[in-house]
Amino acid sequence: MMSACKPDILWSPHHADRYVICDSELSLYRIGAVGTSEAKAGSLPLSEETAATLLAINSDTPYMKCVAWYPKHEPECLLAVGQANGRVVLTSLGQSHNSKCKELMGKEFVPKHARQCNTLAWNPVDSNWLAAGLDKHRADFSVLIWDICSKYSPEAVPAEKLRLSGDAESGMVVTKPLYELGQNDACLSLCWLPRDHQKLLLAGMHRNLAIFDLRNTSQKTFVNTKAIQGVTVDPHFQDRVASFFEGQVAIWDLRKFEKPVFTLPEQPKPLTKVAWCPTRMGLLATLTRDTNVIRLYDMQHAPTPIGDETEPTVIERAVQPCSESTISSFAWHPSAQNRMVVVSPNRAMSDFTVFERISLAWSSTTSLMWACGRHLYDCAEEGGSAAEKDIATKMRERAQSRYGHDTVQVWRNHLLAGGNDPQLRSLWYTLHYILNYSPDLEQRQQGNKQSLIYSGIKNIVKSSSGTTEIRRCWKGSERPADVAQYQSEERSLALRLCGWIGRGPDVDIEPFLKSLEQEGEWERAASVALFNLDIRRAIQILNKGASSEKGDLNLNVVAMALSGYTDEKSSLWREMCSSLRLQLQKPYLCVMFAFLTSEPANYDAVLYESRMAVRDRVAFACMFLNDNQLPRYIDKLTNEMKEAGNLEGILLTGLTKDGVDLMESHVDRTGDVQTASFSMLRGSTAEVVKDPRVQCWIENYRHLLDAWRFWHKRAEFDIHRSKLDPSSKPLAQVFVSCNFCGKSISFSCSAMPHQGRGFSQYGVSGSPTKSKVTSCPGCRKPLPRCALCLMNMGTPVSTCTGTGKSEEKVDLPRDKKLAQFNNWFTWCHNCRHGGHAGHMLSWFRDHSECPVSACTCKCMQLDTTGNLVPSDTV
Amino acid sequence: MFVARSIAADHKDLIHDVSYDFHGRRMATCSSDQSVKVWDKSDSGEWHCTASWKTHSGSVWRVTWAHPEFGQVLASCSFDRTAAVWEEIVGESNDKQRGLSHWIKRTTLVDSRTSVTDVKFAPKHMGLVLATCSADGVVRIYEAPDVMNLSQWSLQHEISCKLSCSCISWNPSSSRAHPPMISVGSDDNNVTYSGKVQIYEYNENTRKYAKAETLMTVTDPVHDIAFAPNLGRSFHVLAIATKDVRIFKLVPLRRDSTTSSGPTKFEVQLLAQFDSHNSQVWRVSWNITSTLLASSGDDGCVRLWKANYMDNWKCTGILRGDGSPVNGSSVQGLALNTPGSSGAPTPQNSVAGAASAGRYEAQLILRMADFIER
Repeated sequence: MMSACKPDILWSPHHADRYVICDSELSLYRIGAVGTSEAKAGSLPLSEETAATLLAINSDTPYMKCVAWYPKHEPECLLAVGQANGRVVLTSLGQSHNSKCKELMGKEFVPKHARQCNTLAWNPVDSNWLAAGLDKHRADFSVLIWDICSKYSPEAVPAEKLRLSGDAESGMVVTKPLYELGQNDACLSLCWLPRDHQKLLLAGMHRNLAIFDLRNTSQKTFVNTKAIQGVTVDPHFQDRVASFFEGQVAIWDLRKFEKPVFTLPEQPKPLTKVAWCPTRMGLLATLTRDTNVIRLYDMQHAPTPIGDETEPTVIERAVQPCSESTISSFAWHPSAQNRMVVVSPNRAMSDFTVFERISLAWSSTTSLMWACGRHLYDCAEEGGSAAEKDIATKMRERAQSRYGHDTVQVWRNHLLAGGNDPQLRSLWYTLHYILNYSPDLEQRQQGNKQSLIYSGIKNIVKSSSGTTEIRRCWKGSERPADVAQYQSEERSLALRLCGWIGRGPDVDIEPFLKSLEQEGEWERAASVALFNLDIRRAIQILNKGASSEKGDLNLNVVAMALSGYTDEKSSLWREMCSSLRLQLQKPYLCVMFAFLTSEPANYDAVLYESRMAVRDRVAFACMFLNDNQLPRYIDKLTNEMKEAGNLEGILLTGLTKDGVDLMESHVDRTGDVQTASFSMLRGSTAEVVKDPRVQCWIENYRHLLDAWRFWHKRAEFDIHRSKLDPSSKPLAQVFVSCNFCGKSISFSCSAMPHQGRGFSQYGVSGSPTKSKVTSCPGCRKPLPRCALCLMNMGTPVSTCTGTGKSEEKVDLPRDKKLAQFNNWFTWCHNCRHGGHAGHMLSWFRDHSECPVSACTCKCMQLDTTGNLVPSDTV
Repeated sequence: MFVARSIAADHKDLIHDVSYDFHGRRMATCSSDQSVKVWDKSDSGEWHCTASWKTHSGSVWRVTWAHPEFGQVLASCSFDRTAAVWEEIVGESNDKQRGLSHWIKRTTLVDSRTSVTDVKFAPKHMGLVLATCSADGVVRIYEAPDVMNLSQWSLQHEISCKLSCSCISWNPSSSRAHPPMISVGSDDNNVTYSGKVQIYEYNENTRKYAKAETLMTVTDPVHDIAFAPNLGRSFHVLAIATKDVRIFKLVPLRRDSTTSSGPTKFEVQLLAQFDSHNSQVWRVSWNITSTLLASSGDDGCVRLWKANYMDNWKCTGILRGDGSPVNGSSVQGLALNTPGSSGAPTPQNSVAGAASAGRYEAQLILRMADFIER
């Protein structure tokens, strides 16, 4: 009884939460959510969300070969069991309260000759009919159709059979089938045809599939094939039948039953079960022996025999419901979409849903929509810390906070960007210094250095000449320090760009130290003081830092260590400091000792401390490297920055082609075209702004703003851009010409003086504007009338001259007076009717058709984008 | 953190494609039920179906929007061997007041002899250009010479790819340095034909598309392909859905002026390869800055990928396709006994109404997945 040991599984046709596992006995389970009150302690987990509870066990029917669940609602839980001896027994699980069920319970249907029962099928319409497929026995029939309501017929049953069954007295044994089919053959599988419930499809041992009509059992249509196992009808397409043989599934169309419509790719192992999905069109699940994979065939467009011959589009998928054990059997859930329960040979069960192919799309505002099966899911990003935020979200937020638009205090832009990005901070400070110091230079040297300051420290130090080497003393000490410092005009300029010193000829770092102290950057301030050879000040800063709020007391210890400085080469202090400094966590503390313990003119430990800000390293290099070393170091650092796309490097490259290269590398990494556009617009030379890459970033940024419907921000950006790059100003886009003379009716400034004279010559009384705005400036014919107020278009004079301001300034360009939007000319580009903007808007608030009589144009609905509101207005 | 909300789509069969318009305020879906639906987002953020109509006589595989500069235009393609262009028309009925819009077919493109598997509008700087690909391995590029007349499309190019095509993607770069470029994926099952992704580039001199690159390392069937929005970058990034998620970087090699006649040569780098979907990957999609990639696979999950500064890609989130939480999520069970997840048949609302009300909300805390380094 090999097959009896392998559990099979059946879903209840009417209870979506019940199924039966059958091996040597029948066990009824109920499936429920994990953690609900229904789930008892003894429930078996089926998946992360569901568990099964055992409701009933029935072991009355040994030697089970096949089971079929009664298809009607009442009586529920009625099962037909086919046994190894060919008998079919009706049995039930759990509740058998109603009388009809009691009557049927235990009823047996006995064939003439004992042989294995292979398959059972209830008739879907006439549910009293039960078809049983049996093995072959000489010339006997192999398909018996029983009527479960038929009564006991003693004369037909030999006495010994009755004794065997043991309950002849109860009248529960039926031996006379309603129909007998398939003489001299075996039946491996059968099914009723849903299209005509009198028809039965059989698969026989004689290598054929046959359709019998019970109204005339002598006639049959049949086809020879090997695929005679597991015939099953597609519930969604009742002419489609699947059957299998070893590893191959054949799909048949009953309307053209001569050969399979197509066969599925052959599997290496023999198939054990094939089942159509009851909830989804054209999805077939197949299972082979000793495997943990269920193969699904999605027949979205299987060819039909009637249509033309197209290639079948069958999509194969393999799913693994449980990774560890092999699968003994599976069953689709009758109603839940694509859900199935699988059972392993050791009766471990798992609940499993086959997912449909999910299609998905991002919207421009970073929300994700996906479609799974017939459902849509809208998924939006919410919350999240600044570090996790995507650059798209960051750019949207920055656009809202007017990032890049602060043209007076340029450094503040990094605060508008959120103030937590060190690269942006460095970038905007660099731009701030560049813009601050360039006018100074311009005044002094008539512009030849103005471009120099934009070209970054790299070029500044290259042009350096007249460097003087000085040996300064440690402040407060008479002894000369054995460190050489270098000075030149260019180096001072570089220090200014680094932010270490301010305007003016004298080198005073005190304001810079003060500002660092204010921001609580104690270590940095101390090291800057130290680099300026002021140990006392450095110690003072460290002490201050230690005593400040949330101060680090360790700074006092550092100050103590610092105070012991000696420049003796072989001192213990020197030895200890140079080895212990590597254990300091803070980079600026580390470089302080590196500086003090370094050999003369060898500051690699400071210069290559990558945790130190680039501007401090550069400033340090400008003070302590000679004319040979400095350009080499700066070049090296510049290349490093360009490679990494680090915006701190803009200090070195300036707004030059080099800077564009660096920015390109930054954009390649981050996609931050916003910063790229705003910072590169600051470039003074056409070389930078006209660089195709810069133009490309600007276009991409404008495109982003448009896609986000940040139209106001886009317009503001365009204004900002045209101020910095006048060539980007667009030309006038709309001209309105007079109906009579064909000239433009715009009151452009150039045309005005002439016209003013013209009017006065003709001696038009009163204000010249009065007659002008309602008529064409060229030919003085009246302008068209507003469709609503029927007045000629043009601003009523009273609204403009009423303000005192315009009377004072008579020379004000006239177009400024026509400012009120309600008086604007508007017209529909479709029907060409129009009028005052205010009148038109109020009309279309209540109407959909044009106000001009007999015009049915739906002017306001013509443009869908026009109905969208910009998303950057509050 | 991402929050998922279910929308009753009311399609009668599988939805094959979802597509947003340029502004993200409209959406189109297409399905095996042979229809296309258009959805509009209300000011309160809810989606309302404003049009639903039968578009084809077979499954509709894909639907896509043209840039709004060309009007409200959709293209769809289907198993019925055709692609179609649709335009929203206004002003002829009072549909707008009832929250409905009316779409009419402007053209049917009937050149394919097999199922048309993908349709995509070219980037807008190329004009109104549409590409289709079909199961017989032909990519067709159509152009509407007059953007005011959407009923006239001329077949400009036919590219024979030899292998059955499943998906196409235009390179969205608008930079003049990058000629028009289109990539094609093939779902041919035979792994011996390698190079399931081909990239074609337009040559200004010959006025033809020529093959610029074949990704020979992609040997399994490709189900989806997507060029990342270029956003001013100097290279192109291509995501591929095959048996795993792959991200390729194509760096155009700077060419000399003397050899400018041939197609651009690329240095192709594999940036990432993820098999965490365990089996077939069906779709890939980029966000607007190409910093986030979403993929969906046979495991029924949607995964989100993000690169850090060093071009290291890693998974930043997993969401289950039915909106239920992923194992290990701290809010497990929140969305369980809601109507959407029980599999009950959806009520068949009429098309007109607000069939879009979010029926339940599921909070999904995204799990940081282990970064797989390759």
